[in-house]
Amino acid sequence: MKHLLLKIEPLIWLLFGQGILLGTILLTGWILVVNLGVPLGLISDDGLAFQRAHELGSSLVGRLVLAALCALPLWKGAHHMRHVSIDSGGAGRDAVVAPLLYGVAALGSLLAIAAVIRL
Amino acid sequence: MADAHPHAMAPTRPGKTRTAPPQRPPQFPMGGRYLAYTAFGWTGLIYLLLGFLVIEAVWALGDGAAAWQEQLLRYEHPVYIAFHVLALASVVFVGVRFFRLFPKAQPPRIGPAKPPPQSLIHGTLYAVWVGATVVFGAILAGGLF
Repeated sequence: MKHLLLKIEPLIWLLFGQGILLGTILLTGWILVVNLGVPLGLISDDGLAFQRAHELGSSLVGRLVLAALCALPLWKGAHHMRHVSIDSGGAGRDAVVAPLLYGVAALGSLLAIAAVIRL
Repeated sequence: MADAHPHAMAPTRPGKTRTAPPQRPPQFPMGGRYLAYTAFGWTGLIYLLLGFLVIEAVWALGDGAAAWQEQLLRYEHPVYIAFHVLALASVVFVGVRFFRLFPKAQPPRIGPAKPPPQSLIHGTLYAVWVGATVVFGAILAGGLF
């Protein structure tokens, strides 16, 4: 498993890096509007009406943006939590923790792809 | 072509130079500069949760109008509001810390080209972040398209 993780490290770093860069850029607007602005009544909920939200989300660009918004933060999260684990408990448990966390991120990415396909 | 083993260049036995066993720095994890380092690592948990929450929202959008409306109503619960305030703080913290690091991580030269000054890279990243947030937020809020 350690050998496999070393071999796919460039892929993990690519997803982790994009999770920080694109994930952070996209999540800021999403949280401000969908998770805080509309629920707190600071922004009208007309923009998130089902018909409009579905039309936007089911377009090609919409699906790509939503897939990135769902999947990339998972890889940033998994990679950082792996290093939190190493920092706090040593590298001994990494053989279990790393596959577990990356497995969660991979499973979440598959769910994200399924979620945007079924829109 | 076969891939080389990742440890192919490692010495076959440890060198003669004695090294001290690794020690945890006394200020770790919450003292001095380690506080920001530790907090940056723990934002990983927030990002993991956020990723799954967005998946849940997209899934609800695919389930139809009633599920989508129910999802939006759920965000009004104080627990969700509190989590998303924390999440916003985490995302801004990650952006500020990462965008400060990014210009310093550039190679001094790529072939004949030198990268632009660090201040320009830094400023561009902030401009893209703010610009993308305004445009994406305006689209979500119904101000664009």
